Amino acid sequence: MRPNQTGFSSPATHYTEPRIDLNDALIENPSATFYVRVADNSFSEFEIFEKDVLIIDKSLTPKNNQLAVVVQEGCFQINRIDSNSKEELQLWGVITYIIKSTL
Amino acid sequence: MIALVDCNSFYASCEQVFRPDLQGKPVVVLSNNDGCIIAANKEAKALAHIPMFQPVFKIKEILKANNVTCFSSNYTLYADMSQRVMDTLREFSPIVEEYSIDESFVDLSHYAIDELDEIAHRIKERVHKNTGIPVGVGVAKTKSLSKMANKFAKKVTENNGVYTVENEAKRIAMLHYFKVKDIWGIGRKHKIRVENTGAISAFDFTKLPLAWVRKEMTVVGERLWRELNNLPCHEMTVEVDAKKGIGTAKSFGYKLEDYGLIEEATSYYVAEVADLLRQQNSAAKYIEIFLTTNSFSNIDNQYRNKIIITLEVPTNSTVKLTQEALKGLRAIFKKGYRYKKVGVNLFGLVPDTDIQTNLFYQPQKSESSKLTEVIDALNSKFGKNKVKLATVGNREKKWALIKEHRSPRFTTQWSELLTIGGVK
Repeated sequence: MRPNQTGFSSPATHYTEPRIDLNDALIENPSATFYVRVADNSFSEFEIFEKDVLIIDKSLTPKNNQLAVVVQEGCFQINRIDSNSKEELQLWGVITYIIKSTL
Repeated sequence: MIALVDCNSFYASCEQVFRPDLQGKPVVVLSNNDGCIIAANKEAKALAHIPMFQPVFKIKEILKANNVTCFSSNYTLYADMSQRVMDTLREFSPIVEEYSIDESFVDLSHYAIDELDEIAHRIKERVHKNTGIPVGVGVAKTKSLSKMANKFAKKVTENNGVYTVENEAKRIAMLHYFKVKDIWGIGRKHKIRVENTGAISAFDFTKLPLAWVRKEMTVVGERLWRELNNLPCHEMTVEVDAKKGIGTAKSFGYKLEDYGLIEEATSYYVAEVADLLRQQNSAAKYIEIFLTTNSFSNIDNQYRNKIIITLEVPTNSTVKLTQEALKGLRAIFKKGYRYKKVGVNLFGLVPDTDIQTNLFYQPQKSESSKLTEVIDALNSKFGKNKVKLATVGNREKKWALIKEHRSPRFTTQWSELLTIGGVK
């Protein structure tokens, strides 16, 4: 049973769309995407500060100059990829976006 | 062709994705209430003197001495990681059968035989890269063979976690490797019968006459025999079996005598299963409640009982199900026992679109289902159980599971995200 309809139906009926969803723009591979919160300012050289949230896509292979979360001596670190470097990196995932509050 | 993809020590692997400091170190995961070890990674299994299914309190010292990291089970995390693995598998095939939380059959019939081995390797690499979870892959023409190939892939190191049965020689080599007792899917009695014929390997089993197998091992044995002989008997099944019930039964953190607390726990579990029921758009015809003392205890008096209630019409309303569940609980509860566990099972599941009402029942579609919708919407926005029936109460700490070492729910809660930086 439907509730009784009164008045005129909305002229917008055929024009409604789902509201903008950040996932559509920021998340390419949901099954490989992880979020990480930054605990302090130790990554300030990358303009990454305390409380920022990193969006990380593990499915990507990083290109030169991109930011990535890597594992060094059992610890998570942030690294700017230098394709000329000979250093072996243990990649955890590529940082695709940094969410910051401006307040 | 079908691939069986199986995650290596899945629960421990999930924990290790977020704990790179534990790479190469022994990790175990404990059962509900931290009672005993239910999963261990390769490094923990290698410590042969750790007894696996012993109560944890008895082996705490050994675990400590060997630097084993213990986690309480974090099923929220495991379920999400499992979903990520399954979704990654769907990049390779539209038909993925989720066999268990850490195992899937993947239909690969759209690939050519000579590219299958490469595809199998790509599946393994892709899942590991996307999710951090290591997997093994077995590929063959039938499910039973692919299951066996998966085992073979892991057992024989030079297979490197992948084994593809793309020709007869590889099938026969594998069947020779396994003993009759290692064959998946036959019971102990049947295995003894097979061994009594003089058969030693799985290959010998496949050479027994079909008439003998059919007579001595019923249709189950016959299907297995056919499957190992490369004749498929088990189709891929993708839909959820709607006839199956859903339920939950967890031990309390403490033994409980107080009826009020047991009632709260029961209401909580009902809300949980009712929620699952709505997620799969089903309704239940029957609800079962059971209650038990700790049967392992020799100091407590023992009592267990259960009751099955037939619902007037199938429902998935938390309100209605809670009412009925608590009626049932009152009927079986007896004073004076220290209870350890209560369980709720829903069965007789039907799609909620074709709920048949009976002649004498006036559906009041209505308040209770609208109420449920509103509660679901609020809870998905503000977190599980933020809005609940009063019967669930507020004393969860007095009955809930003990989970001392649970890791954060990294992938499902903003408040529990993985953090980097900061002093460790």
